[in-house]
Amino acid sequence: MGALEHANWFMTALFCTMSGVIVASVLLAQRGRAMFIRRIPGLAAIEEAVGRATEMGRPMLFSTGLWGIDIVTLQALAILSYIVRLAARQATRLIVATASSSLLPVAEESVREAYTSAGRPEAHRPEDVRFVSEEQFSYALGTIGIMARERTATNFLFGAFFAEALMLTENGRVLGALQVAGCPDPTQIPFFIATCDYVVIGDEYYAASAYLTREPTLTGSLVGQDLAKALLIGLILAGIGLATSYAGPAAPHNFLLNWLAQGR
Amino acid sequence: MREALQSLFLLRQAPNPTALAICLGLALAASVLLLYALHRLLGPRGRRWLIALVTFVGGLFFGLEWFYPARGHPSKNFLTDWIEPVSNMLTVVGAFTVGLGIYSLSQVHGRNVRLRRPGWHNSLAFFIAMVAMFVFGLWEHYLHLREPLPKLVPWPKGIYEILFSGLFAPLQAATFSLLAFYIASAAYRAFRIRTAEAGLMMAAAFVVMLGQVPVGAWLTSAIPAASGWSFFRLEKLGEWVLAWLNTPAQRAITFGVAIGALAMSLRVWLSLERGTFFSEQS
Repeated sequence: MGALEHANWFMTALFCTMSGVIVASVLLAQRGRAMFIRRIPGLAAIEEAVGRATEMGRPMLFSTGLWGIDIVTLQALAILSYIVRLAARQATRLIVATASSSLLPVAEESVREAYTSAGRPEAHRPEDVRFVSEEQFSYALGTIGIMARERTATNFLFGAFFAEALMLTENGRVLGALQVAGCPDPTQIPFFIATCDYVVIGDEYYAASAYLTREPTLTGSLVGQDLAKALLIGLILAGIGLATSYAGPAAPHNFLLNWLAQGR
Repeated sequence: MREALQSLFLLRQAPNPTALAICLGLALAASVLLLYALHRLLGPRGRRWLIALVTFVGGLFFGLEWFYPARGHPSKNFLTDWIEPVSNMLTVVGAFTVGLGIYSLSQVHGRNVRLRRPGWHNSLAFFIAMVAMFVFGLWEHYLHLREPLPKLVPWPKGIYEILFSGLFAPLQAATFSLLAFYIASAAYRAFRIRTAEAGLMMAAAFVVMLGQVPVGAWLTSAIPAASGWSFFRLEKLGEWVLAWLNTPAQRAITFGVAIGALAMSLRVWLSLERGTFFSEQS
């Protein structure tokens, strides 16, 4: 089966339904419907991590991972904005290390605006938002160098990480930093769990801005996300039921199996 | 109109080098002027609106191209032909930021050298390496050497080879090889049996790792492959753990992440996300 070049009718219908559920949930939240978000330890630990750096009088490091501007790094920037506000209030220095020159101006602007909105624009140091390298291992070594030279008390790693993830966090651990990491890639999560103090797992990563700010729009979107997930679970169960009930001699007439096999 | 625009953005034949150079110069000058004008004329609110508008139009374009019914083989709709030029445009915009990256690096390392901070010689090494790679990389490129190379290559090519194949590539490989030691130390910590969950993970890891190596198959080779007990041969047990326990868990996480990404994309597309460029709420 070749890669899909365009969506089929089923994907279009699923996309529209899920988007509809998310947007409806946002609208309900904006009209004042109370929505509950469970505690996410990795995100709840951010405040503690900033507090630790403040008590130790040492800076913090935020790594945005390897990718340039995309959904994963935009979420990382939303988390960065929140951390910068906390850091600005507590007068703690935060160094940002990016691996993408295209992300650099966006990160700079995010940090500048976060300092301004926290009421401390004078605390902003433009040189603390740094481009390290676009090469994977050069980025890893450069960022480890920052950790070692600046003796960072806390390391935040949010974004897209690959083989360099373990290098960064193992060194951070050796240097005694408290580490909070988040990554949507399931293959990197185990490395973070083995080496970090707190880890944001899977879709918790995309819940970050809603969890941290509790703004109705974002909270509604998060609840809509869970409803869409419930819808997907229902579809999976229906698919299992259909595939199982038509298995055996009736299999050639099973429209679901035929459709999946043809990849239409 | 469409043909004229396509001929402008889709390069169908090798252009005249002089015309290309003039076009590139004019495009660069126009882009700089446009960026300067936008920067001067638009306030923060205006910039936010512009970014929101461009984000919406861009998202609409790529979304429509993907979801709009397509016909033929390869399947196309009325927007498919525009994917390549629009992607090229994004690459060009991205290329503008390379200068910002170099500026950021030069700022940090220049200050280290100027103030003679501890380790300033590393910053000096950065400048020497950057200039050397830049000069000899371009020089080597414009030598237009073709395979097979002559026995005695021109010296700029030789220096480039020393810098890239002799220094850069081995340094990258050496850094990558360090990963093996990091994995060993992280695995040691992760597999220490302190809780029931850690014990379970250790047992699963033990089975999977032994199932992947010949000694694992040898250890349980006494169990006949055709018997009903063959499931307990380590290579089969390891495969079962991977296919029936690990894969579903990974897929479940991937489903959750995909829906999270969809919600995040909608928030960014509709400018609902909190952050510098997305929201009035920030």
